[in-house]
Amino acid sequence: MQNTVQNKKGNFFRRIFAINELGLLVSFIVIFIFFSAASPYFLTVRNISNIIGQVSLPLIAAVGLSIVLFSGEVDISIGSLQAFVALPLVTVMNATGSFALGALLALITGTVVGVINGLIVTRLKVNSLITTLGMYYSLRGAVYLITKKVAIAERSGKDLFFFIGNGKLFHFFPYPSILMFAILFAFMFIMKNTSYGRRIYAVGGNAEVARAIGINVEKMKFSAFVICSVLASISAILLASRLGSANHMAGQGFEFQVVAAVVLGGVSLSGGIGTLLGAFIGVLILGIIQNGLGMLNVLTMWQLAITGSIIILSVAIDEFKKRRV
Amino acid sequence: MDSNRSAILDVKQVSKEFPGVKALDSVDLTLKKGEVHALIGENGAGKSTLIKILAGVYTKDDGEILFDGLPTVIDSPADSLKLGIKVVFQELSLIRHMTIGENVFLESFPLKKNKTIDWDTLYKRTSEILESIGLDLNPKTKVYKLTVSQQQMVEIARALSHEAKVVIMDEPTSALTPNEIRFLFDVIRKLRDRGIGILYVTHKLEEVLEVCERVTVLRDGRRISSREVKETNSDMLVTDMVGRSIKTLFPRTHTGRGKVMLTVDHLFTGKKLRDVSFKVHAGEVVGIFGLMGAGRTELAKAMFGLDPVDGGTVTVDRQELKTGSTAHSTKLGIGYLTEDRKEEGLVLQMSVSQNITLPSLDEFSSFGYIRTKQEMERAKEFVDAFSIKTPSLRQKVMYLSGGNQQKVLLARWLMKKLKVIILDEPTRGIDVGAKAEIHRLIDQLASDGLAVVVMTSEMPELLGVSDHIIVMCGGRITGEFDKIDAKMENILEAAIGQREYSYAEHGSK
Repeated sequence: MQNTVQNKKGNFFRRIFAINELGLLVSFIVIFIFFSAASPYFLTVRNISNIIGQVSLPLIAAVGLSIVLFSGEVDISIGSLQAFVALPLVTVMNATGSFALGALLALITGTVVGVINGLIVTRLKVNSLITTLGMYYSLRGAVYLITKKVAIAERSGKDLFFFIGNGKLFHFFPYPSILMFAILFAFMFIMKNTSYGRRIYAVGGNAEVARAIGINVEKMKFSAFVICSVLASISAILLASRLGSANHMAGQGFEFQVVAAVVLGGVSLSGGIGTLLGAFIGVLILGIIQNGLGMLNVLTMWQLAITGSIIILSVAIDEFKKRRV
Repeated sequence: MDSNRSAILDVKQVSKEFPGVKALDSVDLTLKKGEVHALIGENGAGKSTLIKILAGVYTKDDGEILFDGLPTVIDSPADSLKLGIKVVFQELSLIRHMTIGENVFLESFPLKKNKTIDWDTLYKRTSEILESIGLDLNPKTKVYKLTVSQQQMVEIARALSHEAKVVIMDEPTSALTPNEIRFLFDVIRKLRDRGIGILYVTHKLEEVLEVCERVTVLRDGRRISSREVKETNSDMLVTDMVGRSIKTLFPRTHTGRGKVMLTVDHLFTGKKLRDVSFKVHAGEVVGIFGLMGAGRTELAKAMFGLDPVDGGTVTVDRQELKTGSTAHSTKLGIGYLTEDRKEEGLVLQMSVSQNITLPSLDEFSSFGYIRTKQEMERAKEFVDAFSIKTPSLRQKVMYLSGGNQQKVLLARWLMKKLKVIILDEPTRGIDVGAKAEIHRLIDQLASDGLAVVVMTSEMPELLGVSDHIIVMCGGRITGEFDKIDAKMENILEAAIGQREYSYAEHGSK
């Protein structure tokens, strides 16, 4: 008897919490309204445009990282990768004056890193946290070695290169955000409507099941790592454009910013759970919190502490929801 | 032996109910000091439920437990330990990277005056205990270096370290060699001579006759008999275990059989399977029976290509299976429904429809794009045909009942259009109503022309659904019966390795 009552209660909670993105969206709106009321500088065309620009880079990387997380793995090498792929980009541009050639080489470099990550995880069976932690250190070390800790300035003077990172469409939409939306929508479609997406979720949700129905688990995971590195490389090109250089400090802490945001957006570290829409809102929420706190002149250390608390709290709420099942 | 010894453990009218099943129904059991008492019964008879109640893992719904003559409450494993009850489960509960001594005294390390661990005493006492049961091991050895048998002894030593008065052993010989079994029996006799009451849970009758003094038989959650071992024999016990008659709840309707669909030929894997050969025809249900550890699941996994094979072949409709490749087996048309639905069958956080369509995605997608509408329609057909109870197709499969989850898995493989389906314990943990429905579906599968293999440890299920019965014991086939001449007693004799039966004609057609 007691059992059935508890079940009903569980059902009730389940229904309320079931619409994951709705809860996130509500939090987003509440935070947005709060900052709009608290600071006169927050809700201005210029600031909104700024925010969109600020979140674009982490969002592009977040799409890739989420796919890795859906597949049941993790990739924390993306911050170091950002600094690393800027090297071929800027060097080639300085040497040839061609942005296309530089960007191509940057993307190839990123792909190679993704392939290495994927092979180590799926062939050598090394835990992906360890693999990409190793890659995180190795790439950063390589960047220090090559640049000798001095930024390599971009000297080809290509307008195109400057514009892709800094220009705005209609003086409002930063170009990176257009690229970001294109990537986001494309992958939302892929994850939702293709057998590739379905299989990624199956692999992360229960690898044994996936194997038992004939899915090549290793191949799926491998592909996730490559996608993640390629998207991180695109964000790296945009970052280099903003900085106008290949900077040895670029992307430091970027990986954790992205992990935090997607986890906030309901993507589970244990695989198979979450959506790209959730990840998107997660990045937006962290983005406006950082921007809003800045507008309110909250000290950086407090900003960090608040951001950290929000992440822990939101994941705790998530776990609480799971126990209601 | 002294029959006036007092009881150490007295279980009176204990009942336990799980949703849909009465696992224990007013069970009585008396264990005396210095007695080795066997608890036997088929799988699902209630043995494990009873020992879990005594271990404090479950709490009883009804009834009374007297310990050393006094009424007691066992609400948690800690309560049970405090009384002096020690259960040695099949899954040993040792910490592999600690030493023997640390494991033996895990619950209460001997301390020095300054509250730090007294290592000298710990290892000295461990040595004494090991010696007292005739075990020559260095107490500083890490547990992972020990054999299963030695690990079991460490568990027993742990029981002795907190002066257990009752030791419960759950199928202790299932992973042991004959020599190790002999050693275990010596240890059991030593414990008995110290006045410890031993409850020995098993399904092997020869062990009961060899080492036990009294024997209690459970069947369907009820106590059937308690007898002195001296006054019984294996025939009596078998009769008690299976009962006199089992109603056939689920008659097979279809009996015609087609060509040979599945051929297993001299299959060997490691230690688990030894020279297994049989054939299954289209439209036929072959039931494979065996008790725990008989090798049923290993056979299923080997046939499906999940585990590598050391020798022999599996052929599906004249095409030989590349073993160790599930992609190839699904391509040839074998489906496998695992024993462990949650771990190996379902993607819990996915919806009902997504779970059903997962292996069939190619059927309604082009260039990877899934035509969702068509997918939903197909899924709905199966949800309706199988009467899967779910509020919607989008419901996450984790919220469904066990029976409905099992139907989802059946639906998954049926959509895929198979030639052979292997069902491992298809009704385990499912309530009676849903069971009958699953059996109806199995019947339907065969009528649709599939070759069906059902692995089961439940006798009524075996007799109800199969056309042909294969019995396994210790990784070998020890009996083959046609449905007509299959007798429960004979099947059980083959399953416990007492006698072998062959059915010469089978497979020659």
